[in-house]
Amino acid sequence: MISVRGLRKHYKVHKRPPGLKAALRSLVHRSYTTVKAVDGISFDIRPGERVGFLGPNGAGKTTTLKVLSGLLHPSEGEVSVDGHVPRLREEAFLKKIMLVMGQKQQLLWDLPPAETFELNRAIYDVPAAQYKQTLDELVGLLDIGDLITKPTRQLSLGERMKCELAAALIHRPRVLFLDEPTIGLDVSMQATMRTFIKEYNEKYGATLILTSHYMDDVAALCPRVIVIDKGLLSYDGSLEALVQRVRPEKRVVLRLAEEVDAARLAPLGKVVTHEAGTAVLQVRQEAVNATISRALSGLPVTDLTVENAPLEEVMSELFAENKARRAAEASAEEAARESVSA
Amino acid sequence: MLRRYLRLLGIQLKASGLLAVQYRADFFTEGLTSLFWTFTALAPLFVVYGERPVVEGWSFGEALLVVGWFTLLQGILEGAINPSLTGVVEHIRKGTLDFVLLKPADAQFLVSTQRFLPWRAFNVLTGLGLFVYAFSLIGRGPSLTGLLSSVLLLGTSTLLLYSLWILTVSAAFFVVRVDNLTYLFTSIFDFARWPSSVFQGVAKGALTLVFTYVIPLALMTTFPAEAMLGRLPLHALAGAVVGSIVFAWLARRVWLYSIGHYTSASS
Repeated sequence: MISVRGLRKHYKVHKRPPGLKAALRSLVHRSYTTVKAVDGISFDIRPGERVGFLGPNGAGKTTTLKVLSGLLHPSEGEVSVDGHVPRLREEAFLKKIMLVMGQKQQLLWDLPPAETFELNRAIYDVPAAQYKQTLDELVGLLDIGDLITKPTRQLSLGERMKCELAAALIHRPRVLFLDEPTIGLDVSMQATMRTFIKEYNEKYGATLILTSHYMDDVAALCPRVIVIDKGLLSYDGSLEALVQRVRPEKRVVLRLAEEVDAARLAPLGKVVTHEAGTAVLQVRQEAVNATISRALSGLPVTDLTVENAPLEEVMSELFAENKARRAAEASAEEAARESVSA
Repeated sequence: MLRRYLRLLGIQLKASGLLAVQYRADFFTEGLTSLFWTFTALAPLFVVYGERPVVEGWSFGEALLVVGWFTLLQGILEGAINPSLTGVVEHIRKGTLDFVLLKPADAQFLVSTQRFLPWRAFNVLTGLGLFVYAFSLIGRGPSLTGLLSSVLLLGTSTLLLYSLWILTVSAAFFVVRVDNLTYLFTSIFDFARWPSSVFQGVAKGALTLVFTYVIPLALMTTFPAEAMLGRLPLHALAGAVVGSIVFAWLARRVWLYSIGHYTSASS
């Protein structure tokens, strides 16, 4: 469904040091640097897949989504979405896709969302019967019956986001790019959005790429993740395998009937936290069974769970690893250059 | 294809109509300001012609025809062209042009029809009223050919105005803040209220040349007025038609080139 080969997107940006003098100088003599937003990534996505794009801020996630949706032209590389070249922006292609951005909105601000739906119906040429059916379905699933006739500006952020999603799905896109769709929403609204997105994917077999800073979104929706860091692809595979690779250790959470001395916990594993009757231990996978039986026999345990490390931690460790590797590579290069010049 | 775009235009017009009546206070203030500006625009003409009966070969009645065209075109500019295209500049700055470019319809059409100000239709009506008054002063009516060619020129003038605006807006893809350019444009358009030969004496006629060929204001108001009076040479009419088509073509090329250079805004 989606194929990306050696995608690069470089921007030339004007750069100058701070200060009035530098500002004046830059009026005459401008120096430019090249920002490598995306620097040679390749991947394939099958029809109906749900894929999470992860990466720190400025990693190139949104840029990639914008190239995939035809908004930005790639500097280099081949991109194809359902047999179309996105940058050509053919009507047939645009009718198949949609990009939802949590930070930008397409709803007409002063008019009720129903007017935007109507406009989109005309733009996407949706037959009347299909429009009615889709709209009824979206209104039901998202529970927005009362909202679509109120002016958009009077809706809360969460209500607006639900209507945004409905406006984006009126034409039943087969490929959905979701860029931070749950940003700023409260926990229950995030859960509603996740359930809805999953249902849409299952019902229509839509292919879905999601970027989000909320790891819960990714964990709930995306069996596969692609990690982009500094414009480079640093991981592509299942979420579980990623956790296994970066943090193979498990977390054993013990709830204790009474306060226990820290010295009694230390032999069981690395103590991550220990407060208010709860201790979290980090234990190698093969040692989990032994740790559990020792804890149960030696400590006043009232409850015990075994968990993976939180995704946020896994990700920040992965990014830290990447950063360290880049630094090592850079210094090795430097050393090689120095030895050549010597 | 054409039917789809007509339907789209209909829906965009309906949305603008809804927007105009959405806020009651806005609706009436808009109406009052429209009235006010239309009548104050006539004041300079009365001042000038109060002193002398003929200016550069134009009698008061004839000059009033030019003002009629100016008022009518101003209505079209401010009611149908300005609001949408000012919106584009905002879209580019905020990055919400993304949504326009994602739609399976011509982006230039979508941005050009996104907003109308129905109250400006009043300017158009005033323009028509001025034609009637002007001809009553002149003491005769326009000939049929004069009338037909002036209708044709209405089309070319609108196309010219629109193309000039598209060119201005296209600059926003590269410099982002073009507010000043749009002010400059509206101020220059103000010259179009005078017959172009009035500027003959300024800088040895250079200004008349500029307003005919560089910023074709003469084509927009003086030509149609002359056509109504039956004194526009045929080659000028043909020139206006060809010129406006060339301008529109140029604007379209520039627009398409600019879209290719759209960098969106970071989220």
